[in-house]
Amino acid sequence: MNSDSIMKALYACVHAAEFPAQALLRLRPDMQGEPVAVLEGRAPQEFVCAMNRHALRRGMALGMTRLDAEAMSGLRLLARSIESEAAARAVLLECIARFSPRIEEASHGKSCAFVLDITGTERLFGPPAQLAERMRGALAAAGFRVSIVVSANYDAARMKAAATRGTTVIAEGEESSALAKLSIASLGLAEEQRETFALWGIRTLGELAALPDVELITRLGQQARGWRERACGVQSHMFQPIEPEFSLKEFCEFEEPVEQMDSLLFIGARMIDCLVARATDRALALALITAKMKLEGGRVHQCLLRPAVPSTDRKFLLKLLQLEIAAHPPPAAVVSFELAAEAGKSGTVQLGLFAPQTPEPSRLDVTLARLKAIVGEDRVGSPVLEDTHRAASFRMEGFAVGSKALVDNVDGPRMALRRVRPPAPVRVVPRASKPAAFRYGDTGFVVTAAYGPWRTSGCWWSAGEWDVEEWDVMAARSDGSSVACLLVCDHARNEWRLEAFYD
Amino acid sequence: MSSATALRHQIEHALESRFPAALSPAPRTIRNVATTGIEEADRLLEGGLPVGAISEIAGPDSSGRTSLALAFVAQRTAEERVCAWVDANDAFDPESAAASGVNLGRLLWVRCQDLSAAQQAGASEKSVAKKSVSGEAKPSTRPWTRLDQALRATDLLLQAGGFASIVLDLGDTAPEHGNRIPLATWFRFRQAADRTRCSLVVLGKAPYAQSSAALALECAPLRAEAAGGTVLRGFTYEVRRGRQRFSPFAQGARKPPASTWSATSSWEAEKRA
Repeated sequence: MNSDSIMKALYACVHAAEFPAQALLRLRPDMQGEPVAVLEGRAPQEFVCAMNRHALRRGMALGMTRLDAEAMSGLRLLARSIESEAAARAVLLECIARFSPRIEEASHGKSCAFVLDITGTERLFGPPAQLAERMRGALAAAGFRVSIVVSANYDAARMKAAATRGTTVIAEGEESSALAKLSIASLGLAEEQRETFALWGIRTLGELAALPDVELITRLGQQARGWRERACGVQSHMFQPIEPEFSLKEFCEFEEPVEQMDSLLFIGARMIDCLVARATDRALALALITAKMKLEGGRVHQCLLRPAVPSTDRKFLLKLLQLEIAAHPPPAAVVSFELAAEAGKSGTVQLGLFAPQTPEPSRLDVTLARLKAIVGEDRVGSPVLEDTHRAASFRMEGFAVGSKALVDNVDGPRMALRRVRPPAPVRVVPRASKPAAFRYGDTGFVVTAAYGPWRTSGCWWSAGEWDVEEWDVMAARSDGSSVACLLVCDHARNEWRLEAFYD
Repeated sequence: MSSATALRHQIEHALESRFPAALSPAPRTIRNVATTGIEEADRLLEGGLPVGAISEIAGPDSSGRTSLALAFVAQRTAEERVCAWVDANDAFDPESAAASGVNLGRLLWVRCQDLSAAQQAGASEKSVAKKSVSGEAKPSTRPWTRLDQALRATDLLLQAGGFASIVLDLGDTAPEHGNRIPLATWFRFRQAADRTRCSLVVLGKAPYAQSSAALALECAPLRAEAAGGTVLRGFTYEVRRGRQRFSPFAQGARKPPASTWSATSSWEAEKRA
């Protein structure tokens, strides 16, 4: 085999420092320009565990107590959210998985880091520097500020990424010089060993690499060989890739309970953007979105969005979310907000020149949601007749353009009824066992012709029993105008009702 | 060129600055029409109801308005088009629609309701049962809520587009309320219907859209047909053309033309078959 054809290993380390702060600020662009510190621990012993660069410039330091932090003016303090961090980690992983499927986690402390095996990706993404820039851009779009280092050595990439900003490419063979200025703390040594090196005056990796190999091992044991190899950037590493699970989920915890819908939608819009971007990367669309809101007092409020066809239209999905939350507002202030989506294949519609015009599915969804907001949830849809002999039995189903129903062949116009809902009780004057006159509201009617009775009954075994006698009645008002209507004598309730008018 | 033509050109030229084409007839707009499914009505309307315009079907109770509208919607859904029924008084009967041949799967039914009454009903179901038993259930005393809902729903559907026909059912709305719908609303509906090629059919006790309607029909009951004195077989209705813009033919007669048609019961149709 030709030696040129053997691919040389290449690694890219993505390092997100101050991850607790990044996870909280990712979906809050309004706070990204302010100094923010994240507190951990139980009150009153809370301490600063992470901060953004604005807070760092103000003199904020890790481990400061809440009291010290509150003494600094203009600083915003947030509580650490493990759920937000888990959601942010999943998003970060999802983003970098676009560049390589082989990923190993290298997170340490309060940072989140992943090392990608990018061997052989040059043809896809260009030279390593270009790949690093593209990856950084993709992560910035998802709300992360990361440093990326590309190197042929795993540990060199990992340690350098933790200590630098921006993107760096370490040329092969120059690992030792690239790592020379890094603190010896990058090796993750125990306290005792750090003290030993401090006594020797060894503070950087370059100084450690310059020590003679044999003498170092003689004094500190075999583990010193590994430290020195790492400091030189020559230690080999067995890559152990993880398999990220694909799930479309975004989570945000508020520092104060949110009551206004606009604030929720502000966060929701950002979440939908992220979900759509992640789904689009896999050529998928959002099919079913669940908005879960944790309320004050521990209750959970949930809304479901079901677009007619899976969609990646941000504006449309946000409008659906807005209408759904407006239709089902949370009963209390919201403490945390989670959006989870099921992925579906993007809808494809075959249009035809001669096909009849139908409503556009996404626009129809919004229209239906608006109609439901106007008239009520269960009062918009397609009627479906129930399989029963009981009159006026139907149920409402969601309206969809493609739905099919059985249709009878009709050769001419039919008599139609206009229902009175709910049926109006009327006072009927019978004559010769037929209705002769009745009163509906303030109007009196004289029956000129009565056809019937049609007797029906059923469900005698249940509470929904009916036993009625129907009469088709031609009736005249006092002003001479006439109507045709359907009167029903309910034997079960012993009353007469006006059910409908013929029209 | 004949002397009459030359004279006409001369007059038009003289008046051109004030009245352009003063003596030339305005170009006639011929609209597409869609069949109503009732032969007699189609003959009267020279093809059917106009597409992309407002048609009004007005008449008292039991005058065949709903049967005519259902027959029209049945024809539109049979062409695999999508229709909507905006029901201001929740009077639509799905069984009648199915019997008329309407494909219910292609019909969007919007049932307006008195929201304050509905909330009360939701709050105490017992009290509703009590009301219906005690005979207090009457047509809503607050028609504006329902009317407002119906107009807003119609507006939304017209703006959304894609509906071949929308029926705005104001059949049980009192004329004094219907007449108070602003003309601007009808004008907006007319523009939207024209843009989306939708036939907007307005059912009512009286015509409300006035000049915005391309067609106005007046319905009236004629007689009922019974068999053996115990079974109602059908009705005969009269339909009268009150107003028709864009008619392909000149309307010379002073009295609007009328036609009669019959609606039969389902069992009667089965018997005939």
